[in-house]
Amino acid sequence: MKTVIINPERCVGCMQCRFQCALAHSKSKDYFSVFEEIPSKPRIHIVKTKDKEPFPNKCRHCNPAPCEQSCITKAIYRANNDEIVLINPDKCINCGMCAMACPFGVIRYHLYPHRKLSAHKCDQCILRLTEGEKPACVSACKVSALVYDDINKYMTNVEGRKIAELVYLGIREKREENINGYNLLKAYNKSLLEISRR
Amino acid sequence: MKDYKELSICTDATETIKKAERENIELVWDRKIAQEPHCGFCELGLSCRICTMGPCRIDPFGDGPQKGVCGADAEIMVARNLLRMISAGSASHSDHGRDLVEVLYAVGEGKAGGYEIKDEEKLKTIAKIYNITVDGKTTKEIAKELALAMMEDYGMKKKEISFVSIAPEKRKELWRKLNVIPRGIDREVTESMHRSHMGVDNDYISLLLQGVRTSLADGYGGSMIGTYVSDILFGTPEPKVSALNLGVIKEDYVNILIHGHNPVVSEMIYLAVEDKELTDLAKSLGAKGINLAGLCCTGNELLMRKGIPMAGNHLMTELTIVTGAVEAMVVDYQCIMPALSEVAKCYHTLMFSTSDKAKFPGMEHIEFNPENARERAFKIVKLAVENFKNRKKEKVYIPVTEVKSMTGFSVEAILKALGGTLNPLIDAIKAGNIKGAVGIVGCNNPKIKHDYGHVELAKKLVANDILVLTTGCANVAIGKAGLQVPEGKVFAGEGLKAVCNALGIPPSLHIGSCVDNSRILVIASALANALGVDISDLPLAGSAPEWYSEKAVAIAFYVMASGIYTVLGVMPPILGSKKITDLAVNGLEGVFGAKFAVEPDPLKAGDLIIEHIKNKRKALGLAS
Repeated sequence: MKTVIINPERCVGCMQCRFQCALAHSKSKDYFSVFEEIPSKPRIHIVKTKDKEPFPNKCRHCNPAPCEQSCITKAIYRANNDEIVLINPDKCINCGMCAMACPFGVIRYHLYPHRKLSAHKCDQCILRLTEGEKPACVSACKVSALVYDDINKYMTNVEGRKIAELVYLGIREKREENINGYNLLKAYNKSLLEISRR
Repeated sequence: MKDYKELSICTDATETIKKAERENIELVWDRKIAQEPHCGFCELGLSCRICTMGPCRIDPFGDGPQKGVCGADAEIMVARNLLRMISAGSASHSDHGRDLVEVLYAVGEGKAGGYEIKDEEKLKTIAKIYNITVDGKTTKEIAKELALAMMEDYGMKKKEISFVSIAPEKRKELWRKLNVIPRGIDREVTESMHRSHMGVDNDYISLLLQGVRTSLADGYGGSMIGTYVSDILFGTPEPKVSALNLGVIKEDYVNILIHGHNPVVSEMIYLAVEDKELTDLAKSLGAKGINLAGLCCTGNELLMRKGIPMAGNHLMTELTIVTGAVEAMVVDYQCIMPALSEVAKCYHTLMFSTSDKAKFPGMEHIEFNPENARERAFKIVKLAVENFKNRKKEKVYIPVTEVKSMTGFSVEAILKALGGTLNPLIDAIKAGNIKGAVGIVGCNNPKIKHDYGHVELAKKLVANDILVLTTGCANVAIGKAGLQVPEGKVFAGEGLKAVCNALGIPPSLHIGSCVDNSRILVIASALANALGVDISDLPLAGSAPEWYSEKAVAIAFYVMASGIYTVLGVMPPILGSKKITDLAVNGLEGVFGAKFAVEPDPLKAGDLIIEHIKNKRKALGLAS
């Protein structure tokens, strides 16, 4: 199953995914969409963790999906071989059940271009997928915090290798850690946090 | 509900933050939280908005793009961005200096209404540095000639700007070898903007050396001109006792706050506040009189010269209005948050902008120039006094009483306190009573708990017999903590305490505003010359624990390039380039005899500085 995979440790909090998400779902699909009568709202959220680190939060397209199960008007339904959870804004009655049922807090309520208020969340860029493109947030992400891939393959490649490395290093001396600027920045920000809590 | 203790160490701040929250006033900390998380590309210096082939970003993890559209790599991107920060900082201090030179010229021409030469002796001393003969000339003639000579420092006729001459010979030799002596103040800023245009300078070392040259054009150019011309026009500061914190705002007075950087406006407001007619008007409206207080560096300027108290530093500016007792705030330029006029809308406070360079939505613009300044200042003060009747008594809350603090330690004043020569200071350093001296300078930044960085570092240093010199926002923080009165010696180690007792001085000396960091360069150069060594040999350091502004980057660079180890509390946007980061914290040492360190924890920063001073003393053959 191909889906959007999140590597939160790589998110630099630049919000480019939010911008491109809103753009991809706008009426005009150009940079002037912010001036549209009903501006398009991003469907991915960058939340701050307790340590003030950025975390990209979006719909997981669960199966079974609690939002879908709680929707009494059947506005929430599945598409693309059941891989994507979608909302039909015309059927939505804004009862709020789906937002309450969602374990990840990714459902909001916004006006759609035809002036209908409805539950609002990630549609996995289903239109872009049919055109052979990746979801807009993934295309926007320059640091691979958001990746579009087959989840089983990706986990084997990345997570599997990480786990194997840890097991291997466990019986060897600790390898020198890869120091890059962002790790230094994170360490710096962490000490800022510690100091402010004194 | 905010965790107030995480925001500031000052009671006057936390109490008024609570009031602001009750009254639904948005403050700098709210806006900072709304901005979090900050963009990682920008924090690393890996985003470039210089041209429209971009904007471009470089992936710090190495998987995504490693070059901008033009081909700029991380080194080029970080260096170009940093050079532009230094240039903006140098431009700000230097443009402030330029305004003073214009007033000096107008005084020379006899066209500067209320302004005059207050310190003739200094005028002559500085004229001599510019090789201007003073004998047989009137004060006005000298003023005009000096102003014209200073204008040339801003131009392109010279090979070296004038005040570079005060630096020790060894330092100048090094600068000449590296080709970093500024030729003209405006020239270096312009050249930096040119070099960082796409397709010009793409060698990060060459870009950074131009950064050094541009910063020196600030320290030994714009800033030093700003300091000296202010001294000439408004008087060289002398030690005096004044007061700090929100308690300087008086409940039963008409309160006028001045905010910004340039003394050109605030000195005139000061004159108007002293006017008897306006004071009588205030009394007729039920106030006891007119009370003037300062904020930020224009506050520092008036505090140093006139002993006018300061209500607070950068992060206190919004909170002064929240007291509900401010009739008017008069601003010139730099560090004036545009949010201030929004806060003022919720109270009766009138906001006045005064510079054609700095206009703000929601402020009434009453423009000042040398000819009309006096008349405009009286107009503003009158409007402020008349506004007293609009004050809502139930909204007034001044949470603390003022703290006394000493000020006015210009280089001349320090020499006077020492009996006319630097020798007593040198003897104290040699004997180890004073281990060294550290300038704690710079701003506030909501990323660091307000005033925590300044105060903890100052306490740690004086306890280790290190004399502290303060400027700008650091002065207010450290003064509020009680380190800038002679009684502040209780914080000092035994050696420094003995010196404080002998001279009747505090362990931390307020030496001015942010352009007055040039006074640090003057003292450091004089010390080095007296000992026949270079500045980099001296047991000195600089620190900006809570800096935020581009001006602070320029200061950090000219202080480092002068040979002074500089510890920053806030990370500059350079981590995206490993080479530039290594250069900043290591490599520079081999070139300038000084380098940077970044340490947000003031206690650890203190350790770094104490260790550094120990090493410098050892190299000079002094007991640690």
